Amino acid sequence: MRSESLKGHLDALMLAVLGGGPRHGYAIIEELERRSGGALALPEGTVYPALHRLEASGLLASAWSSESGRRRRVYELTRRGQRELGVRRGEWRQFVTAIEAVMA
Amino acid sequence: MSYRDELWRELTAVGITGGLRSRIVAEIEDHLACDPGAELGAPAALAAQFADELGTSRARRAAGQSFAALALAGILFGVTFVAAPGGLFRAISAHTTWLGTLAAIVATVGAQVALVAGALAACRVLRRRRDAVMPSAEATIVLRRGAVGVAAGIATMAALGLAAVELRHAQPGWWVTLAEVAAAVGIAGLAAAVPSLMASLRVRPVATGSAGDLFDDIGQLLPHTLHGRPWRLALLISFGVAVVIALAGVATADPFDGIARGLADGLLCLLGFATLGRYLGLWRPAIAG
Repeated sequence: MRSESLKGHLDALMLAVLGGGPRHGYAIIEELERRSGGALALPEGTVYPALHRLEASGLLASAWSSESGRRRRVYELTRRGQRELGVRRGEWRQFVTAIEAVMA
Repeated sequence: MSYRDELWRELTAVGITGGLRSRIVAEIEDHLACDPGAELGAPAALAAQFADELGTSRARRAAGQSFAALALAGILFGVTFVAAPGGLFRAISAHTTWLGTLAAIVATVGAQVALVAGALAACRVLRRRRDAVMPSAEATIVLRRGAVGVAAGIATMAALGLAAVELRHAQPGWWVTLAEVAAAVGIAGLAAAVPSLMASLRVRPVATGSAGDLFDDIGQLLPHTLHGRPWRLALLISFGVAVVIALAGVATADPFDGIARGLADGLLCLLGFATLGRYLGLWRPAIAG
């Protein structure tokens, strides 16, 4: 899928991946690819600025963790982020239902 | 030069320094350690993307905090103003020195500038609330509006405190205490918004684009005949302000005094449009993208 068409959905996709539990940046990209069967390959450079922005907006929290001697920044949803994910899921379902009704 | 060093340099160039820069570089290093062939883009483009997204959210937060602090100060100012026995202006003109008169003028002008600048900053970020990235010119306008609003708010609350000191023998003790506490709390609230304004001054978006103007902010509320005619709008608003102040003055005080106050306020409003209009992005894009 073209990265341009993912742009408007980047936040919702990242929130959805983090809805499954805390992850660091690389793991978020991997999980997104895994869940989409490789169809959603994000330009890696767009992920980190977006993560920082979502954290600045209070939707994510992050902390350093140490894995096999390597320091990693791990992100997780805040309560506000969980609520936002619920809203985004609702909006997405409405959108898909409406488009399906037209396209079918 | 390694990718890490280049990214470090580019982040510095866009104003991202200190702990935030170290954190970003550490995250990117970790990513490259996981996947040495990762396509993160050119360091300059990555740094610009960070500046765009962080600058936008910082500008948004600064405007929100400025507006919240101004709203608190506005309520405190309004309560103190209304609670003044016999009317604040009448008390000042009857009992105080030139310092009290100066405080009254600063409070009157400052309150209006703070209200307009703060409300327009909030209006602009509300309009762009869904956008991940604001153009640099637009973020600059938001910051200017927030900063002017906070500065005018601080001046207003300081003037209120000064007026209370000047009126300490003419007004009841409870009112003087109320005004001094309101001034102190208002200034403290506004000062609390300053760090977020400073933080957004350090990291600003670099994306190009126009800043828009007043018609982008409140165009939907205005009749079509006013669109693209800033001076006509300025005259209309100033006339409205003059009429409202004059009517309020006529109803509560001496009719001549009310009319004079209305005229002065209308002229001040027009002067405000003329002096601050372009700086605050009220008309014509003040900053090209």
